[in-house]
Amino acid sequence: MKNKLVLLVISMLALAGPMLAQGAGAGNPTDANRRAAAYIAMGIASGLCGLGQGRATASAAEAMARNPGAVAAIRVALILGLVLIESLALYTLVITFIAQ
Amino acid sequence: MEHLWITDIFNRVLAGPANALLNALGTPSKDPARPWTDWMVCEIVVALLLIIICATLRPRLSLHNPGKLQHLAEITYDFVHASAEEIVGPNGVRYLPYFGALFLFILAMNLIGLIPGFESPTMHTMVPLGLAVATFVFYHYAGIRQQGFAYIKQFLGPFWWLSWLMLPIEVISQLARPLSLTVRLFANMFAGEQVYLTFVALTKIIIPVIFIGLHFFVGFLQAYIFMLLAMVYVGGAVAKEE
Repeated sequence: MKNKLVLLVISMLALAGPMLAQGAGAGNPTDANRRAAAYIAMGIASGLCGLGQGRATASAAEAMARNPGAVAAIRVALILGLVLIESLALYTLVITFIAQ
Repeated sequence: MEHLWITDIFNRVLAGPANALLNALGTPSKDPARPWTDWMVCEIVVALLLIIICATLRPRLSLHNPGKLQHLAEITYDFVHASAEEIVGPNGVRYLPYFGALFLFILAMNLIGLIPGFESPTMHTMVPLGLAVATFVFYHYAGIRQQGFAYIKQFLGPFWWLSWLMLPIEVISQLARPLSLTVRLFANMFAGEQVYLTFVALTKIIIPVIFIGLHFFVGFLQAYIFMLLAMVYVGGAVAKEE
């Protein structure tokens, strides 16, 4: 799995090589490019946030099953953790609105 | 851009004093004919509504024969009290009025957007910013009141020879707290409204009701989280090293 990831990253860097052949003034982002970047960024942020929240919920559910007496405290920790992870995806959403 | 009917009433009746106040503070309104903004008016409506509910409750408080409003108030009070005791610690109850007011105010502001003819003031950036700055000032005030000027020692780290490194890191992380409080509340409410508008445009009738339900739930959750984080920050500021 790790070798596949390394191969993926190296091939992405290599395929970006032709970008160096652009002319001088080609760095200004157009509206379409800005929006495309915003969409991709939001997708990545939401995906990773989903993974994080899934792990948090899974361990909270398992802890509640193992120790039913501590359910109230675990519930507080779960809600706090979920909201803090959610806010990271929301920062990306705000940047999306700023970039347009 | 259409305005709410309440904003029109305020602009018609109270435009003069509003303009005088804004000019005195050095920030003249962009449109002198309408100095009142939607969110300012809705905030005032929410505050008046909460004051009226509490004023109606006060004479009806009774030990042996509680009415429905008293039950609701007792449930809310027990909820905030239990959270404060658990999170802030044994003397967290002295800060209870601030936490209760914060929770009820944010909850009412989030929910008033569901009533047609009003909109959630928390959907505009300035309102969560004001709440976050007020909370920031409050927890530092609570820490200084509790610990005196030894409060600064918490930011200096565990060893004196690390304090040159710890102080900038602590300052930045303290400043990140109001930022995250603002962005979390604003983005949740704003995104909720945008999603609702999108679905009203796409499927006109039944499906948007689900998003109204979502907005309701998210409003409760965000108000609870704001209060919870305020308690965590006050607890961190007030904690004594034992």
